[in-house]
Amino acid sequence: MSRHGNNPSSAMLQPTAPQRLGRASLILLALLFLGGFLILPVVAVFYQALSQGWKIYFESIHQQDVLSALRLTALVASIAVPLNVVFGIAASWAITRFEFHGKNLLITLIDIPLSVSPVVAGMMYVEVFGLHGWLGPWLSEHNLHVIFAVPGIVLATVFVTFPFVARELIPFMQAQGSDEEIAAVVLGSNGWNLFWRVTLPNIKWALLYGTILAASRSIGEFGAVSVVSGHIRGQTTTLPLEVEMLYNEYSFTAAFAAASLLTLAAIVTLVIKKMIEMTSGVHGVPEEEEVES
Amino acid sequence: MSIEIKGISKQYGSFTALSDVSLTIESGELVALLGPSGSGKTTLLRIIAGLESPDGGSILLHGEEAARQNASRRGIGFVFQHYALFRHMTIFENVAFGLRVQGSADRPSRAKIRERVQELLHLVQLESFAKMYPEQLSGGQRQRVALARALAVRPKVLLLDEPFSALDAKVRKELRDWLRRIHDELHVTTVLVTHDQEEALEVADKVAILNHGKVEQIGTPQAIYDRPASPFVYDFLGDVNLFHGRVLAELSLDKPAGNMKSHIESVIGFVRPHELELSRHLPEGQKAVLASVVRVHSAGPHVRLTLSITENGRPVAAELSRQRFEQLALTLGDYVFVWPQSIRLFDEDGKTSQLLNHGAGI
Repeated sequence: MSRHGNNPSSAMLQPTAPQRLGRASLILLALLFLGGFLILPVVAVFYQALSQGWKIYFESIHQQDVLSALRLTALVASIAVPLNVVFGIAASWAITRFEFHGKNLLITLIDIPLSVSPVVAGMMYVEVFGLHGWLGPWLSEHNLHVIFAVPGIVLATVFVTFPFVARELIPFMQAQGSDEEIAAVVLGSNGWNLFWRVTLPNIKWALLYGTILAASRSIGEFGAVSVVSGHIRGQTTTLPLEVEMLYNEYSFTAAFAAASLLTLAAIVTLVIKKMIEMTSGVHGVPEEEEVES
Repeated sequence: MSIEIKGISKQYGSFTALSDVSLTIESGELVALLGPSGSGKTTLLRIIAGLESPDGGSILLHGEEAARQNASRRGIGFVFQHYALFRHMTIFENVAFGLRVQGSADRPSRAKIRERVQELLHLVQLESFAKMYPEQLSGGQRQRVALARALAVRPKVLLLDEPFSALDAKVRKELRDWLRRIHDELHVTTVLVTHDQEEALEVADKVAILNHGKVEQIGTPQAIYDRPASPFVYDFLGDVNLFHGRVLAELSLDKPAGNMKSHIESVIGFVRPHELELSRHLPEGQKAVLASVVRVHSAGPHVRLTLSITENGRPVAAELSRQRFEQLALTLGDYVFVWPQSIRLFDEDGKTSQLLNHGAGI
């Protein structure tokens, strides 16, 4: 190809002057946008949180209410995430490995939480479980509290994070196919061995990826939780709600201090996510299967 | 273990994959199911394995009804077209899998498993690859691992679903010979699905030809090649020249025998390229057509010619030995007389067939 002088790839490598200018201005625009809309606000959170020094920052975080909100958030996430993992695996398994009526309906239903506003999700739970809701009278008769209590917050969080694991696994498992599982069955494997020895090892990275997305969403969820929580300080307030309440009370430093915890959690999640992508090649969609020619 | 297939049918929606297929495979035989894609050969294999259930009919494995047996309990080794190796396991673990997942009552000890796996890796000549992962192996090596994995549990039946079709031509040929050697060593009843007629004819003891969900013919490779039972089989097993009834009538058949005479108009004649005789001079009493040489393929042991019949311009393929070709000294544009040494006639419905020898002319 070099005999013919300019080939397409070398033309790409050595842009003409106008091309170079165009490229530089595009990059600059992207950077400005990123700086203005993403980086600056994140920096602002930490700037505000630390504006009165580290001492005040730690005191704000160590408040009883903030700590209990932190504990509640952790509790909710630790219930919602495993539930989603179990549901996500079951749903993806069913969808990618079996043919049944209503499969498309199930796929659509899984996506509902993504398209419904979280506030609406919260209101749906109030309508069902609230004091004046469908199951409310029965629940209060048996002294069960769902709305304005921890169970309601868990339910709302589960609803909102419902699709994350399944949506990550379905395309992955579809692309991977069921050949290995069929091979395992023919070799005499039972369902238990099949799952633990073949399926799970094959989907582990995609599963972890989906789990992290679900975890970060369940930590940060505001809308749905806000409707069902009742905002009882120290009892039904998660960290995002605590941030809002502090902010509304003009305790800016404390609000930003609590917000910085959420931001940190998000950054940690991002880093873990990036690490998974690098070690496993999972990008939501699995790498192409190598094809022999 | 023998396999008896009795009246198996399978329907996918409006598509008939198999209709009333019956077939008996003797113990220790290597049988190839040969057919074009969509002929139902893979479906039949998956039904034998228990991966699909038939709509009707039954499968007897060693005289026992298999329908109620789960795929995992049939004692079958299955080799897939795309290997289906466990990607996160080493080669050793892949081969050991079938032994490790056996119920605790039957499961061999660790030492026994190790011994068996080594034995199989030796058989497929991949001992030094035990610690590697499937992705580090070539396609041919992967398929050998897949075979070792299938054989590890000492299956009574070995089923292979287009095992070599994803490999390049040279490796394919090597593995084919190698599969035959392993079969001769182990005598496992084996069913091989393939769309490659050369592969089927070369490897198998018996070939069953499937078309549109039906068995067209079953027999030894020789029988099938020499005496195709239908126009489809004739066509599927290599190059062939078709002479339709019209052509035959025009040029008149020399000795149309018996019942063929009455409806000579609707006869199709099949002649393989190597069954055509070519000559520059017409021997006395021989009926022939005149044709011109359109193309010459002289690479390989035989010379292949494309001829064009002068009268109607129809193309005809002929195959000659190199020696004969040099004798004739043919070049492009030359005219030759062409006649078949033998011709097989079928009715238009493909049922009745008749072989005409030397006397035939076209």
